[in-house]
Amino acid sequence: MTAPQRRWGRRPTAAPADREADAPFLEVEGLTVHFPTDDGLVKSVDGLGFNLSKGRSLGIVGESGSGKSVTSMAIMGLHKAGSARISGSIKLDGEELVGAQPERVRRLRGRKMAMIFQDPLSAMHPYYTVGAQIIEAYRVHNDVPKSKARAHSIDLLGRVGIPQPASRVDDYPHQFSGGMRQRAMIAMALSCDPELLIADEPTTALDVTVQAQILDLIRDLQQERGSAVIIITHDLGVVAEVADDILVMYAGKAVENATTEQIFYDPKHPYTWGLLGSMPRLDRERAERLVPIQGTPPSLIRVPSGCSFHPRCEFADRNGDLSTTVVPELTDAGGSHLVACHLSGRERTQIWRDEVAPRLGMVEQRPGGRA
Amino acid sequence: MAGGSPMGPARHREPSQVIAFIIRRLLAAVLLLLVVGFVTFIIFFWVPKLAGQNSYALASQFVGKDATQATVRAIEKKYGFDKPVIVQYWRFMKNLVTGTKYDAGPVKTTCNFPCFGVSFKSQTPVWPLIKDRIPVTMSLAIGAAVIWLVSGVIAGVISAVKRGKFIDRAVMAVALAGVSAPIFFTGLVALSLFSYKWPLFPNIHYVSILDNPFLWFGNLVLPWVTLALLYGALYARLMRAGMLETLNEDYIRTARAKGLPERTVIAKHAVRAALTPILTIFGLDLGLLVGGAILTEYTFSLPGVGQFAKQAIDNNDLPEIFGVTLVAAFFVIMANLVVDILYAVIDPRVRLS
Amino acid sequence: MKIPGWKKPVVLVVCAGMSVALAACTGSKSKGGTGGGGSGTATATAGPSTGATKSTGPSGPTKSGGGRTQTSGAVYSAANAKIVNPSTKAGGTLRFASSDEPDSTDPGDTYYAWMWDFSRLYGRALMSFKPGPGKAGLQLTPDLATAPGKVSSDGMTWTYHIKSGVKFEDGTPVTTKDIKYAVERSNYAKDVLPNGPSYFATYLKDPKYPGPYKDKAKDKLGLTSVDTPNDTTIIFHLAQPFSDFDYLATSPQTFPVPPGKDTGAKYREHPVSTGPYKFSGYSEGKGFALVRNKYWSNKADPLRAALPDKITVQYHVNADDLDQKLMSGNLDVDSAGTGVQAAARAQILSPGSKYKHDSDDALSGFTWFIYIGSKIKPLDNVHCRRAVEYAANKTDMQTAYGGPVAGGDIASTVMPPNVSGYQKFDLYEATTKPTGDQEMAKKELKACGQPNGFSTNISIRGDRPKEVASSQALQQALSKVGIKTSIQKYPAGKYFKNFAGNLSFSHSHDLGLMYGGWAADWPTGFGFLSQIIDGRAIKPAGNNNLSEINSPAINGMLDKTSRLTSIAARNKIYGQLDKMVMQDGYFLPEVYAKSLLYRPKNLTNVYVTQAYGMYDYTQLGVTK
Repeated sequence: MTAPQRRWGRRPTAAPADREADAPFLEVEGLTVHFPTDDGLVKSVDGLGFNLSKGRSLGIVGESGSGKSVTSMAIMGLHKAGSARISGSIKLDGEELVGAQPERVRRLRGRKMAMIFQDPLSAMHPYYTVGAQIIEAYRVHNDVPKSKARAHSIDLLGRVGIPQPASRVDDYPHQFSGGMRQRAMIAMALSCDPELLIADEPTTALDVTVQAQILDLIRDLQQERGSAVIIITHDLGVVAEVADDILVMYAGKAVENATTEQIFYDPKHPYTWGLLGSMPRLDRERAERLVPIQGTPPSLIRVPSGCSFHPRCEFADRNGDLSTTVVPELTDAGGSHLVACHLSGRERTQIWRDEVAPRLGMVEQRPGGRA
Repeated sequence: MAGGSPMGPARHREPSQVIAFIIRRLLAAVLLLLVVGFVTFIIFFWVPKLAGQNSYALASQFVGKDATQATVRAIEKKYGFDKPVIVQYWRFMKNLVTGTKYDAGPVKTTCNFPCFGVSFKSQTPVWPLIKDRIPVTMSLAIGAAVIWLVSGVIAGVISAVKRGKFIDRAVMAVALAGVSAPIFFTGLVALSLFSYKWPLFPNIHYVSILDNPFLWFGNLVLPWVTLALLYGALYARLMRAGMLETLNEDYIRTARAKGLPERTVIAKHAVRAALTPILTIFGLDLGLLVGGAILTEYTFSLPGVGQFAKQAIDNNDLPEIFGVTLVAAFFVIMANLVVDILYAVIDPRVRLS
Repeated sequence: MKIPGWKKPVVLVVCAGMSVALAACTGSKSKGGTGGGGSGTATATAGPSTGATKSTGPSGPTKSGGGRTQTSGAVYSAANAKIVNPSTKAGGTLRFASSDEPDSTDPGDTYYAWMWDFSRLYGRALMSFKPGPGKAGLQLTPDLATAPGKVSSDGMTWTYHIKSGVKFEDGTPVTTKDIKYAVERSNYAKDVLPNGPSYFATYLKDPKYPGPYKDKAKDKLGLTSVDTPNDTTIIFHLAQPFSDFDYLATSPQTFPVPPGKDTGAKYREHPVSTGPYKFSGYSEGKGFALVRNKYWSNKADPLRAALPDKITVQYHVNADDLDQKLMSGNLDVDSAGTGVQAAARAQILSPGSKYKHDSDDALSGFTWFIYIGSKIKPLDNVHCRRAVEYAANKTDMQTAYGGPVAGGDIASTVMPPNVSGYQKFDLYEATTKPTGDQEMAKKELKACGQPNGFSTNISIRGDRPKEVASSQALQQALSKVGIKTSIQKYPAGKYFKNFAGNLSFSHSHDLGLMYGGWAADWPTGFGFLSQIIDGRAIKPAGNNNLSEINSPAINGMLDKTSRLTSIAARNKIYGQLDKMVMQDGYFLPEVYAKSLLYRPKNLTNVYVTQAYGMYDYTQLGVTK
């Protein structure tokens, strides 16, 4: 698979220092993560592929259970060997992670790739001080004396915007506010200067004003360091803020993968349309109701045949029985815009223009219009 | 297990706050002891009364077998059974604090604070009798506690980490057996195997650690192991459950995501958190045991507080029952207090109030 | 009284109210009594002393130069008849242990059988029993006294002279005033020393004496019925003749107590010794230790071997553990002397057991029997009572008590063989036809006018499994001759006060056959029989004469023995009395209770003294 060139960028990006610009830093190909259970095989991720270059940020979007977090855990090597069956390929900086020695992956974890978790209160150990947890993260990969690690962690806390970091370093997580905790979490993730940062719902537990600050922080840090970032969220609003590219997942598969601009202004998959419809927007009339996607996410044990979205798709019947029998391939619909849908390009454009876009109030709008 | 990291207690807790907490708790403890003492009295006096026993019949339990009526009356008066229960209770509580003197014939018996009275049977003050036995029970309880805590926690951790594997099943099977088997059974089995059949520990009898530490140790190994088997099994199960719960916590995932070796994740992050509830139970169990490990002491003939309690009840000796009940209650209350303080030290989120 | 633990409430009521009470509680849970039987009957237990013993003194040991021939002592029940492991070797520590603790170590405050045996190690009474196995143990011999008491012609005054030169452990000489004081404190200060018996108070003249602790007299010796005209003479003035007074004088209550050293209730912690050992450590509820008393000398006291240098007593050793420690040589004596537990018994009696040779099946002094209510129709007819005697299956009842070893030998008399005055007889074929004689029973029923049998009730202590089992065996045997019975179970604790021993209850509930048992405080016929056959001892509640025997002839004979100075003559009458009550069918004897005692190889000079139904603790020594 050649790396699609997506150079749509709202801001300048730092060029990768030591790799060719077109060699993706993270390559995921044919990734499957299956969990055998008493009820059957849970196919959480099923044949996922995407690429991510340094200096770029990828938003992975989908409902809960779509496989976003499972994917990120698979990249981090955090699935338990006994409980998950992982196949396919995950290459980090050219190094294969699937099937690699756990010890090898561990050494990469926290150093080369780091992760920020959803709820910073439960994600930080309640019995250890914030500083201690950052120091620990630093020292596990860097053989430095404790005092040096401490200075480093105070520095990090300062950089993520914690006031008086020298004294707050000895606070416990519960003594921090929600936003501060997330900042501390980020500081911890950044302690070893990772080249890949995965943020799993980094703002979900935070209130709106803090959300914006945290997203700004992630963006700024990425800019500063030129690392690759994956933001996992169910909230398109969040990715709109940070991501260069967006991967939409449904039932363990990628259904659409394109630049943020393409996703927002020329979305091609009916599921993406549904997501956009359920997104609150400041520029939309308040009178217009949010349009939730009808139906419920599918069972990952008995995934619907054909296109797994078909039971919920209002356009599934437009291809005869193709949607219920054939699994749609992720194909380039032009401009490196990948989509997995049986609708033909023409049909899709027509539906979007005539039916969906007006419903979303997005006719004739161009980028830059959003707050 | 904090592994030398800078993970001290919270700095935001004032010492005065801790002292106030302790004082408050001690006052509550005094109140609780008053209640415990009163309930002991109620049980001793009123329950037999409901069954139709009068103070004369009560007194007749404490005289020789061919005592005359006058003798029984004299005993009844001497022990104050003829007084209303509330008066007797008041007298006991007053003497407890102020101490008193008892008539022992030509001499007086001095009963100093804490004066639980003078044993009906031995006619000596109760507190020295109990005090004398506390080291025995302490030796038993603390030794066993170390064994069961260490073994139970290790077994629980291994079991949780190797969940579903053979070793997990094996440990849990042993634990189930350990929890199910009563001490007088395991104790007798241990005795008959390791003291009688293969005399690794022959002639088990208590020797003070001050007299001979080696004998002290050797004689306590079987009682420790027996007692620890029961509790250790319980703790293994608790620890396993706690570990399984903790291992699902987000912060464990975080620890792994940091790239910590699994050993560190388990030992430093998971065990520490899973240990906290165990510690609470541990404190209470230890407090209860110091108040008398009756079955173990009986089985191994250790002259501890538990044996004393059994004799006190066998002899229906009110001052002894009263004393041992209050002492046991005191230990439990103290253990509770220590656990609470310790809890606050371990878990920085806990505030002493 | 043989049984430790009698003082617990359960047993207490049985004992309460025995004013003259010679006899002990009719049994409490006998430690050696549970479980299976054993092999074979014991060898003769009560025969005249064979071999070892000489006339007086710890003969075997002291003269055991030639004792080599006796060292092959390891024979089952050998210590019943001879001294096992005779030795004169002094030294070592003799280790006692008990699963219980005694009521008190104060000689004036104890009623535990083993304490009466044991306390002689630290105190000397006026009189004692001859050391030695067999019948010797039943014979009196002077201890502190120079000779047995000299009784006045009216039988009302007993005079003793004590040996000179006897000293307390602090070197002060013993005087008869110390003995008088000991009697005062042990019998008249029951609010301080409640545990011991009150025989002296019962037989001495002034019952109103308030006791030494309330005595106005400066020397606290205000008891007028005891005179001490000089330091070596003591005279007891009785209210009525009492020929067994010398037996009373064996009680630890006559151990001298120096008034200045009496600490009342605390005296137990250190009784001032006159014996070979003195207290050197006392831990309440845990035990104590004895060491040699340098003011005691072997020459002045021929009754005690005093071999060990030290003696330790440990209380509250788990009974099964205690047995194992005995058998593994980690303890020397189970001080309670009531025999091993079921587990150890099984071990000892198992075929080929290496322990069997080191054990003794000893008579405890108890007889288990059934009172036959002579006031309950139709058992008021002697023939109906005899029908019961014949019909009962004694073998089954013996089995119920644990068989020949754990239970005891089938009894055909009321008195057991280890009581002075015991005579062997068997009126109802108890030993010749132990499974019962239905023909004779039917014959007696016919004579009674109940040819088809009758109905009555059996009362038992429902919390005693042995009585339950035995009563079922009895019920079955009686039903074969047409006697229908219903078993009534009562709590042991109130058995004598409220139920079987309560006349109005036993009459209204037709309790014709009442389970019980008896042992004497001292081993004479009077000690055994008086409470259970004397018509004047019948009490409306707390009665011990449950058969309600009230025969002028029997009462008269009992009175007569009180005046007879000749022991032989008295013993003859005791045997006659036993026979009379058996002839009249007042008792259905079951077994002469036995205890299976274990004697570790470490123990020397071991024999069962009949005086106490256990090993003679004054003679024991250890090999290491």
